[in-house]
Amino acid sequence: MKARTVCIIITLVILCTAAVWCGYVMRPKSGKTAVISQNGKVLYRIDLSSEKDRTIEVTYEGRKNTIEINGGRIHMKCADCPDHICVDTGWLEDGKPIVCLPNRLVIEYENGDIDGTAR
Amino acid sequence: MKKKYAAAVLLSALLMLNSCAANNSDNSNANVTDDIKNSGSVFAMDTYMTITAYGQNGKKGIEAAQKEITRLEKLWSVTDENSEIYSIDHSGGSEVPISAETEELLNFAIDMHRQTKGALDITLYPVLRAWGFTTGKYRVPDDSEISALLECKGVERISVVNGNASVPENTEIDLGAVAKGCAGDAAAKALKEQGVTSALLDLGGNIQTIGDAKPDGTKWKVGIRDPFGEGSIGTLTVGECAVITSGGYERFFEQDGVIYKHILDPETGRPADSGLASVTVIGSEGRLCDALSTSLYVMGLDDACAYWRNSEDLEMILISDEGGVYVTEGIAEDFSPNVENVTVIER
Repeated sequence: MKARTVCIIITLVILCTAAVWCGYVMRPKSGKTAVISQNGKVLYRIDLSSEKDRTIEVTYEGRKNTIEINGGRIHMKCADCPDHICVDTGWLEDGKPIVCLPNRLVIEYENGDIDGTAR
Repeated sequence: MKKKYAAAVLLSALLMLNSCAANNSDNSNANVTDDIKNSGSVFAMDTYMTITAYGQNGKKGIEAAQKEITRLEKLWSVTDENSEIYSIDHSGGSEVPISAETEELLNFAIDMHRQTKGALDITLYPVLRAWGFTTGKYRVPDDSEISALLECKGVERISVVNGNASVPENTEIDLGAVAKGCAGDAAAKALKEQGVTSALLDLGGNIQTIGDAKPDGTKWKVGIRDPFGEGSIGTLTVGECAVITSGGYERFFEQDGVIYKHILDPETGRPADSGLASVTVIGSEGRLCDALSTSLYVMGLDDACAYWRNSEDLEMILISDEGGVYVTEGIAEDFSPNVENVTVIER
C-alpha cells in the first residue's frame, strides 16, 4: 500500500514536470510584436496578432503622429512632419523600421528572425 | 516486487529532476555573464541607428559608441554650421584647420576617387542639391545648369596639407558616401574598448558586427533588402564584418513618368544608369564597404566584377535591374537566397 502511494505520487510528479516542460517548449513564439519608441524610449509594445484595430496618437514638441493598427498590420497614418517619409514607408515590414526623423519616432518589429537588414 | 518497481521509478525520477536542475543552473549562469542583450539608438547623420550589444559590458559600450557617433557627426555634417566640413565648404577658398580624423577620412576619400577611376566623388554636393536630393524638394535641372555645376566639382581641387584643408569657392565637399561607414568603424572600436565582444550596429541600414558569433554560438544573420519590393532577397550568414548596401530604391522621385534615383554618376551629374538596382559590399572595414557600395553601383556589373577580381578580402552581392542576383564566390555558400536566378561570380 505504501509503495503504491509513493508510486502514484512519483507518477504525478513526473506528469506534472512533463506538463510544465511541454508548456515551456510549446509556448507561443512572440512573433509579431511591434515596438513604438520616441527618442529611444519605448512608448508601446504591441502584439499585433492579438491587438484590435485602433489608432494611437503621439506628440513631439507640439507635432503629432497618428499610428494606425489594422488587421494585424501597423503604419503611420498621418504626421505633422515636413517630409512625410514615415507615412510614405507604408505598412511595417521585417527589417525596415518606420522612422519619423523630425519627430524622433520609430515603429519596428521586436525580435525578427534575422539580426539586421542591409539596405 | 512492487517495492522494486517503485524504487526504480523513484530513482529515474530523481535522475531526471537532477539533470534538469543541472541544465537550468548552467543556463542561468550563461544568462548572467554572456546573454544579457542591451540595445540603444541614435538619431544621427540624417538617419536612425541602432546598436545591440551582448554581455555585461554592453550598456557602457553602447553609451561610448553613441557618444562617438554624435561626436563624428559634429565634425562631418554638411549642414551643421559648426562642422569642419561646413567650414571648409564656406571659407571662400582659404585654408581651414581640421582634426586628424577628418584629414584621414578626406585622404581616404581622395584615394578611393583614384582607385574607382572617379566613380566615388565627394565634391558632387552642389549637383545633388540641384536635384533636390538633399532637401526633398525634387526637381530636374536642365542640361546647362548641370554642366555649370559640374564645372565646380573635382576631387583634385581639394587640398589637404598638414592639418589644414581647403576647396576653391563654389566647390563643396560632402562625406555622405563614407561618413556612416567610418562612424561605424569608430563606434565598433569604442564598443571593443569597453570590453564588448559581441555586438551588431545598424547605422541606417549599414550593418557592422563585432565578434564572429552571438553568445549562443550562432553567426550573424543579415538580410539583404529586395530593391524591387518588400522584405529581403536572401540572408547572409557572417562573422565580424561590415555589410553595406547602396541602391537607387533608397531615395528617388518620379516626374513625367521618369524615375530619378539619388545616386549620381559624377561624370554626367545625372542619376547613375548602370543597370544595377543595388550593390552590397562585405568586408572588414566599414568606410571601404560604404565607399565601394556607392561607386560599384555607379560602375555597373562588369566593372564592379573587374574591381573585385583585383582586390582582396572583399565580397559583393549585386542585383541587376532585371532582377538577376550575382554573388562572389567567397560568400556564395553563406548566402541563402529567397529568389532563383542567382549567379556566382568567379575569380
